[in-house]
Amino acid sequence: MTLNTLTKGMRGRIDRLPTGDIRSQFIRLGLVEGAVVFCLEKLPGGTIVLEFSRQEVALSGDLARSITITQP
Amino acid sequence: MEHTSDTKIEHKPHKHLRTDALPVNPLKAKVVLVGNPNVGKSVVFNYLSGLYVDVSNFPGTTVEVSKAAYLHYDLYDTPGIYGVSSFNDEERVARDIILNGDVILNIVDAVHLERDLFLTQQLIDMGKRVGLIVNMLDEARRQTISVDLKRLEEEMGIPVIGTVAVKKQGLEEIHQLVSRACEGRQNKALHAELHEMLAVVGSQAEALMVLEGDGIVAARHGIAPADHSRREEIYIDRRNRVNRILQSAITDVQTGRRVASVLGRWSVSPIFGFPILALVLYALYYFVGVFVAQDVVEFTEGRIGREIVEFNIKASVAQHAATTVDVDVFNYAGDVLENRSFRFDNGLSADPVLWNEVRKFADGESAEFMFNYDNVWLVLFFGEFGAITMTLTYLVFLLLPLVLGFYFALSVLEDSGYLPRLATLVDRFLRVIGLNGRAVIPIILGFGCVTMATITTRLLGTQREKTIATTILQLAIPCSAQLGVIAALLATAGAAATLIYTFVILSFLISVGTVMNRSLPGETSPLLIDLPMMRLPQLNNVIKKTSYKTWFFMKEASPWFFIGALTVGILQVTNALEHIMDAMEPLVVQWLQLPREAATAFVMGLVRRDFGAAGLYQLNLDPFQTVAALVTITLFVPCVASLMVMLKERGIKEGALIWVGSLVLAMTVGGLVSQILI
Ligand SMILES: Nc1nc2c(ncn2[C@@H]2O[C@H](COP(=O)(O)OP(=O)(O)OP(=O)(O)O)[C@@H](O)[C@H]2O)c(=O)[nH]1
Ligand SMILES: [Mg+2]
Repeated sequence: MTLNTLTKGMRGRIDRLPTGDIRSQFIRLGLVEGAVVFCLEKLPGGTIVLEFSRQEVALSGDLARSITITQP
Repeated sequence: MEHTSDTKIEHKPHKHLRTDALPVNPLKAKVVLVGNPNVGKSVVFNYLSGLYVDVSNFPGTTVEVSKAAYLHYDLYDTPGIYGVSSFNDEERVARDIILNGDVILNIVDAVHLERDLFLTQQLIDMGKRVGLIVNMLDEARRQTISVDLKRLEEEMGIPVIGTVAVKKQGLEEIHQLVSRACEGRQNKALHAELHEMLAVVGSQAEALMVLEGDGIVAARHGIAPADHSRREEIYIDRRNRVNRILQSAITDVQTGRRVASVLGRWSVSPIFGFPILALVLYALYYFVGVFVAQDVVEFTEGRIGREIVEFNIKASVAQHAATTVDVDVFNYAGDVLENRSFRFDNGLSADPVLWNEVRKFADGESAEFMFNYDNVWLVLFFGEFGAITMTLTYLVFLLLPLVLGFYFALSVLEDSGYLPRLATLVDRFLRVIGLNGRAVIPIILGFGCVTMATITTRLLGTQREKTIATTILQLAIPCSAQLGVIAALLATAGAAATLIYTFVILSFLISVGTVMNRSLPGETSPLLIDLPMMRLPQLNNVIKKTSYKTWFFMKEASPWFFIGALTVGILQVTNALEHIMDAMEPLVVQWLQLPREAATAFVMGLVRRDFGAAGLYQLNLDPFQTVAALVTITLFVPCVASLMVMLKERGIKEGALIWVGSLVLAMTVGGLVSQILI
């Protein structure tokens, strides 16, 4: 399952992050493998707004598609 | 790797090489404010700095660095960053100031410690002397989060204070914090590894950058950066350490999700997001497009600029120079009622009687004076398109109010926390044209001034995005000066014309973006953006931001406006302008099916985009001709200043390509519209 399949109000546990610079950026924000995220909003076109450790982060659909998740 | 437990690698006792070199003048130690975006750095900076603030570097949204005197230190404010590295311009700018800093004051948001302490630990790992300011304690209290500052101090090994910056609570302790700042608890293995690199790399801080794969810092020392996997190892280790510290330092009574501001949530919701966006854009349009662009500018440009300043400069230049003064007297509708020419062979001062007659002729009417000097140089600098007079009026009395208005609105949006939400909302649409949501900022600015927006494209993540955004700005976004004239012309041309015009420009914009997205190498950087809490902007912060952004824009763009005006002036006095217009005639008359004089309007558009459109007023075009002419002029060359800035930002080759492309496309599309409609 990938992150973009989450719909508003669902939770997911991060299983695998993409590699490269973007991975480092996720780690800095606190979005690491094993973290549980909550989907706050899902916009038409796939842009997704997540909540985790008291912060709200938006990511584009393509990026969400590159992250695999599991049921928390 | 563990920070706390003993490690296998033996780390012999060693004498510390100065990792943070002593400042040349110890009394002028550099104190640097560092922190994630929106944690209150600037509020603290404004509190600490006296009156004198020296802002340097880029305008745009956040890539600026302010410097001020604080006690006997030099105090620096840096752009918000999530870590020290070089993923974008903000980070590159902040990194270098941090590397050169003597004491780092790290400000963190008490509500977002998980995110913010990553940077803190990284600063500690750099071997910097750090003092930690835990800000937004009011917000944390409201959300029933309690932070154990003592515990943080012990775990991280650096002094910690708690503050509510907006209420000035706790800020008096910063003075002490600066002197107590020290090196914190570091990962021993990492520390040992960094020390081994000291022989090659100047400082521990720089060694860490190299180890974390920073190509730029590595290149400065002529070595290769470590690879990705090393950085990830260090990052994961740091992340784990921060999470572990926080387990004991934070007590969060209410564990579940919490209800954040309704407005913040709504502005990224699929249902309310777009109506809110429409409202924001309308307010923006009303404030900048109607209030500033029309009411304020009419007064500043028309009354002060032209009638007082420009008139007086020109008249004083004419005092002792041979001049012919043409006076047009208008009626209320703006039609010329009377026109007379007065000849001064030896300047105005030699013939006060005639000059009196001139004044009497224009007295009490709305009149326009034209000073036609005999001397070519005077024409060049003070004539109709005089480089000095025109630049002055344009810059100070037209652009300045507009730019102030735009930056004010932008600062309000920025400080309220709306901009990242806007970027989120439009990300999907901008992706079609190869941009990500962040590009919405330069595009909105483009409707104010394309020159200003072109500078702001620096904010975008990759060269590819900068190229696409610049092209779209230069080609398809009419600036406010031009929009006013376009709106007036379309109002006369009618609804059908307005619809066709909008449709053509929009579909052109999308096509160009799509083609560039498909054909340029590389990929659009994905949107990954942190949505700060929505807050009521603070007026003094907004005013400060507005004034220094405006100052920077003026400083950076003014010379180009002057050069632009000078270029056209030279074309005029050498008659080259006439030749260009003659050369364009067949294109204008046969292909665009417009009157011959439209060529003048197009060329004048080079100097000022609004001149171009304004020139169309007098031509009495029918609605379809109006559409063709406006399409051409919108897509046509932007003003010389924006061309110059583009050449500077994008390089001569790329800039010239975009410029020539815009000329060809404007003529092609304008002509096609004309051929189809007429
Ligand atoms: N509630 C609360 N708000 C604060 C506090 N400190 C700052 N703010 C608000 O937080 C917002 C951001 O403050 P800034 O000082 O502009 O933040 P910054 O760190 O300079 O932000 P960037 O320059 O964008 O990285 C402003 O709207 C401040 O009014 C605080 O202690 N409590
Ligand atoms: Mg700031």
